[in-house]
Amino acid sequence: MMLEVHGLGTGYGQTQVLHDCSIDVPDGRLVVVIGPNGHGKSTLLRAISGLLPARTGTIRLDGIDVTGVPPQGLVRLGLVHIPQGDLLFPDMTVEENLLMGAYPASAWRERRAKRDDVFVLFPQLAGRRRQRARTLSGGERRMLALGRGLMANARLLMIDEPSLGLAPVLVDEVYAKLREIRERGLTVLLVEENFSHVTTLADHVYLLESGRIVREGAVDALLADPVLMSTYLGV
Amino acid sequence: MGAFLQAVASGLILGSIYAVMTVGLTLIYGALRTLNMAHGTLTMIGGFVAWIAATTFGLPPLLGAVAAFIVAFGLGVVIYRLAVAPLIGHRDFELVGFISTLAVAMIIQNVMLVVFGARNKPVDPILPGSLPLPFQITVTWHQVLMAVVAIAILVLLHLFLTRSRHGLAVVAVAQNLDAARLMGVDARRIYAATMGLSAGLAATAGVLLAPIFFVSPNAGDLPLLKAIIVAIFGGLGSVRGTIVAAFVIGLVEALSSLYLGAKFALPVLFAVVFVALTIRPYGLFGLSQENRL
Repeated sequence: MMLEVHGLGTGYGQTQVLHDCSIDVPDGRLVVVIGPNGHGKSTLLRAISGLLPARTGTIRLDGIDVTGVPPQGLVRLGLVHIPQGDLLFPDMTVEENLLMGAYPASAWRERRAKRDDVFVLFPQLAGRRRQRARTLSGGERRMLALGRGLMANARLLMIDEPSLGLAPVLVDEVYAKLREIRERGLTVLLVEENFSHVTTLADHVYLLESGRIVREGAVDALLADPVLMSTYLGV
Repeated sequence: MGAFLQAVASGLILGSIYAVMTVGLTLIYGALRTLNMAHGTLTMIGGFVAWIAATTFGLPPLLGAVAAFIVAFGLGVVIYRLAVAPLIGHRDFELVGFISTLAVAMIIQNVMLVVFGARNKPVDPILPGSLPLPFQITVTWHQVLMAVVAIAILVLLHLFLTRSRHGLAVVAVAQNLDAARLMGVDARRIYAATMGLSAGLAATAGVLLAPIFFVSPNAGDLPLLKAIIVAIFGGLGSVRGTIVAAFVIGLVEALSSLYLGAKFALPVLFAVVFVALTIRPYGLFGLSQENRL
């Protein structure tokens, strides 16, 4: 099992956001956490990647207990978090942003090959390599965030709402790229608000509501539940 | 004509040394979002190390400069650990960091005063003599060396910050702390390294300035004042802004000394900075600041 989250609880200050969340991500699979905005999806990823300390529960990466390990330690172990809103380095060039993605020493040695690889996957970035990240369009920024995440030697890629704020045509483009990334055999944990984006992509789906996992199952099983569809997903 | 060219030459030389003196202050502000008030003290320490290396150990100037860089780098890391790191996370970090480093500056200055005394210590120029120039323009070889070394340092710094793994990490921490951590950067180590590097740069400026201003425990006061002016004028945290501002301020200082007299150089400087900041409150290349840490 690539990632095992058991009984995870966390929050900000006095506010408890996540309660007793348990999630499994098997090797080579794409697992999706679905849920409405403001119900703790990003907080879940922030807690797994160590940006936010876990208050309760355990996190295991490939069988090793990594609860309490800071983000820089988890990156070295192959857990890469592509955050919501891209979090690019705005005054660095596209190329410098990509190089920062290869910061772990093992990835840095292969940075040129990896960069060229990212330019093959995202040709539009190659043409803008000397341009500052703040001058990119929304779609290009998202591509750069994904490309930067591929620069580290990721074994588990956690992606936070890759479709957020994008025009529908760009959402399709981003998901086409995710499909390509997935076909490379990477294990992915994806967070998404819109169930329809992931129905053909997900191996397993968790439903997060008010900071709790309320349902889980294969896509078909969830789609077959009309109450669930109308209540939680408005489909 | 001769006088004008003289002022321009002096201004450019001053500007290059201001850039080296200030860029460390800018790097620290970028990474930590506080002013390092011990920055001038490190310039002073650089001058002292060069003086000791030359007079006590008879070392050549290049080795003196290397020694100054290394001593200051270490001191910068120690200042970070003792006076800055314990305050990270404080809700008024910008202010307490400022006060804490000011205290460090006072302690170091007074220790130096007790150990070495207040007397100004002369340091020989690294290269003697002047360039043969027409129009009675005087540029000493030492000034040429200062400008060349300063520009070489700025080019190396640029390559470090844009090409190397750790240099990029320094910039990354300054631009987006959370993103830098997600890339695998240990922010605290980068803070320490940034303080060390900045201290080394300040000390190198001190080595170059020592033959011009003498070496004494308060030799860092004026450089700190100038560096703060340059850093704010350029836009706190912007390396590019700092370098442009250093040359602008060097030229303004030299030209106002020429046309109005040396005693007006600093008032004119303040006036120019005052007007510039009224129009661009965040400096030439500054962006509005956000709170962090």
